[in-house]
Amino acid sequence: MTNQLVISRGTKRSIVRALLSVALTLVATSIIFLINNVNPFLAFIYMFQGAFGDINLLSETLIRMTPILIVSLGLAVSFKCKIWNIGAEGQLYIGAMLGTIVAIGIGGGPLALLAALVVGALGGLLWAAGPALMKVKLGINEVITTFLMNFVGIYLVQWMISYPFRSPDTLFPESAAIPSTSALAVILPRTRLHLGVVLALALVPVVYFLLERTTFGYKVKVVGESPEAARYGGIEVGRMIFVSLIFSGLLAGLAGITEVMGIQHRVRGSLSPGYGYTGIVVALLGQNNPLGVALASLFLAAIMNGSSTLAWTMNIPMGIVDLMQGLLFVFVLASEPLMRFLERRGVLKL
Amino acid sequence: MIEWAVLIGLAAATLRVAAPLLLASLGETIAERGGLLNLGIQGAMLLGAFSAFIGAYFTGSLWIGLVSAIVGGVLATLLFGVLVVSLDLDHVVSGLAINLLASGLTLYFTRVLFTGGVSPYLGELFGPLPIPILSQIPVLGEVLFSQTGFVYLGLISVPLVYMLLTKTTFGIRLRAIGEDPVTASYLGINVVKMRYAALFAEGMLAGLAGGLLTISMFNTFDTRIVAARGFVAVSIVILGRWNPWGVLAGSLLFGFTEALSLRIGIIFPELSGASTIQLFALLPYLVALVALVAGGRRVRGPASLGKRIGKQ
Repeated sequence: MTNQLVISRGTKRSIVRALLSVALTLVATSIIFLINNVNPFLAFIYMFQGAFGDINLLSETLIRMTPILIVSLGLAVSFKCKIWNIGAEGQLYIGAMLGTIVAIGIGGGPLALLAALVVGALGGLLWAAGPALMKVKLGINEVITTFLMNFVGIYLVQWMISYPFRSPDTLFPESAAIPSTSALAVILPRTRLHLGVVLALALVPVVYFLLERTTFGYKVKVVGESPEAARYGGIEVGRMIFVSLIFSGLLAGLAGITEVMGIQHRVRGSLSPGYGYTGIVVALLGQNNPLGVALASLFLAAIMNGSSTLAWTMNIPMGIVDLMQGLLFVFVLASEPLMRFLERRGVLKL
Repeated sequence: MIEWAVLIGLAAATLRVAAPLLLASLGETIAERGGLLNLGIQGAMLLGAFSAFIGAYFTGSLWIGLVSAIVGGVLATLLFGVLVVSLDLDHVVSGLAINLLASGLTLYFTRVLFTGGVSPYLGELFGPLPIPILSQIPVLGEVLFSQTGFVYLGLISVPLVYMLLTKTTFGIRLRAIGEDPVTASYLGINVVKMRYAALFAEGMLAGLAGGLLTISMFNTFDTRIVAARGFVAVSIVILGRWNPWGVLAGSLLFGFTEALSLRIGIIFPELSGASTIQLFALLPYLVALVALVAGGRRVRGPASLGKRIGKQ
């Protein structure tokens, strides 16, 4: 009897595909570094140090990972259903705003924290429910509606923090601070690492269980692979689409309020540097597998934080993050036909 | 009582802000009639806006900016073509990839090229081009015949695209592909070549649509300059039922909403200064959603729209 871990061919392919896309992204980024007269090896070493160099940097990377991971776990579920929610950014802002109002309204304590998290998550769900209804009832492409809802949501939050919920004691448009007694506790002394990271990591097995061990997860997958087959098999396709889309909204809202309760402690216009969009790349790179998504969100968080070190050591602008995200997205897509090509040529054997 | 001059100003502004939407949605109409659902048009517009700015800024010539706008737009749609036409990948995901890549590229190079990552202002821009005699007509002259070249170009493109799609062999073949690419290829139509041609045309129009934002409207570049215009253009194509005339109507509707949200303080002076006025910024997006609910239900586009060949 051998006791070794058995990895299925499909999993092996997914791992190779993810590694291949990362490798191609690093090669393409290296070329850009070379054009800018920067040694790519040195740049990547600085980046790595900036993300993981000491306990403080590591905890900052984990803090960065938290909202990305929560968002992308939700997106993984909707993507598995082939529902492209690109409105996570707006859902995140709405969740953060509503949760913050509740936390301030209740006025502190663990109850305020719990209520804020629940309301925040529901806020995100609510913001996804409109596009979900439009998709299921009217057949309107969710990509368009979720994206448009981002603009409505973010402008609405901008307005709320500029007028009705503006903090009376700051010059900038931002909400009042949440009571410190309702904040997510710091779990590592002398860092900012907060309980939110535990919440995010705990969601990984939860979503894994949901997708792999429940009938809901099974149905989501069948609908994603073939809606016709699902309908033939008696699955209520519309309902699965609706639920998977609002589920991704739920987690996007939770990500937003977690970011407020753990780090920012108030809603600002700069609450998210595009976590909702980063989540799309992460879910794709992790190939909608919760464990893969967790690793991918750590990778993207490391790029984000590492690039700020790169900015002051090698004068590489912060925009490199967005560029690497874009490249990664294209390479994840193109790696599938590339792998098939390599297999046909006999270069790659899986 | 709203003054007459204010209304004329609103009508003129409607056409002005409708121009990028009109050019982009005409381009998207061509692609979608060939079965290609290109959400990457957002990225094509962004690349068009960026390359127009770079071209105009570094050469000092707006005309070179105009040409680079077209080049930028076409590069983006051709990359979409590589993913979707050549590699037969998912249309939606490929479109999103183009958008993210375009936003990464423009953000990075804006920060590389300009200190502080803020683009400077251009010395000059493509301003209004009043048409002699016609611009003297009361009301109509001011609204219709004192616009920029981009507005005229958009309006002229409507019948041209309509004729291209309905009266030419190219258009008839393209629409056949849009309905059923497999059968079309059995009939001897080169699906790959035709689809690349459609994307080339879309890239030119989307590049111009993005380019006019920098070299005719805002005078500078910002990575958020396109806002949601690409996605609004896709909505307009649905609302306009894949017909250039319908697309014209849709563009005017959204142009009107945007113009209204920009000028609400001028139209209703009693509102200016009120906090609610800020909320009008979200009006165009809300109207787009409402319009989709009202007019986008279960409309049938080209049968093969957004479908991968391998799956048919």
